[in-house]
Amino acid sequence: MTTTPSFQGTHLFDRLCWAKENLDGVQSDYRVVYEDSIDECAKILVPDPNWMACALQGGILPPVWVYHELAKDEAQPDFKKHTRGYLLHNTEPVDAMTEEEAIEYLIMKDCPQSVWQTWDEGNKPKMVICRKEQLPASREWRNAWKITEELSVTDLAA
Amino acid sequence: MAGKIIADTLEHSTAGSLDTSYVVNGSAKSWMNLTGTGTIAVNDSLNVTSCTDGGTGRYKPQYTNSFSSVNYTPQGIDDNYGVGWANAYTTGEVQNVRGNNSFSVLDAGIFSFSAHGDLA
Repeated sequence: MTTTPSFQGTHLFDRLCWAKENLDGVQSDYRVVYEDSIDECAKILVPDPNWMACALQGGILPPVWVYHELAKDEAQPDFKKHTRGYLLHNTEPVDAMTEEEAIEYLIMKDCPQSVWQTWDEGNKPKMVICRKEQLPASREWRNAWKITEELSVTDLAA
Repeated sequence: MAGKIIADTLEHSTAGSLDTSYVVNGSAKSWMNLTGTGTIAVNDSLNVTSCTDGGTGRYKPQYTNSFSSVNYTPQGIDDNYGVGWANAYTTGEVQNVRGNNSFSVLDAGIFSFSAHGDLA
């Protein structure tokens, strides 16, 4: 197995270039289906294979809270440019994750917080983790896809 | 890292010289090749965490290393009409929409994307 160099303090983009050169991509079978607006169809989050390789390898990616801090900065009305980009590069990278832990990280990074913080509140779940085989094979009526109301939280926990 | 060369200028024996800032600033900081039909899948990429399928013809790559500001330049092309636009973009993601000659939204068999700009 390839050993990850000590990357703390190395620019994140340089780490990604290292990973691109040294790690094989990992296609995940997991997909995250979520709804962030009642007026829009369900969205499907597809993990990137090169990112997944970094997550499984460990020592490359920053902790997910770094992205939340940058998002807070960007949400300021007078935001023009990131001034805390060093958080991406200087924060100690996270250890190797399992594929399931990587999906959790991905949800907290790339799904709206309004979805993952309250995914099981309301009449039906706003978010479901599934395998790609469980999605419709055809994209017919794609803009009408919704998470079914019959899907209870109990079903998800099973 | 091993094999590191620090240089401000590259010089060719006859063709002149090039400031390496051209290389650093001019290289794509993110790219992605994606199958946009069926169950969409990212085929290959650099600096992408995930891609969100937001409905017909809507593909949103999210970056691992964010851009420093929203003043970066995403661009994309597909195997249909090559018609598309970007909206709702932040330093961490950009929503790409693909369409036909009438600007009706359409899934792309293959969608290719890249973005240039300064990283955070």
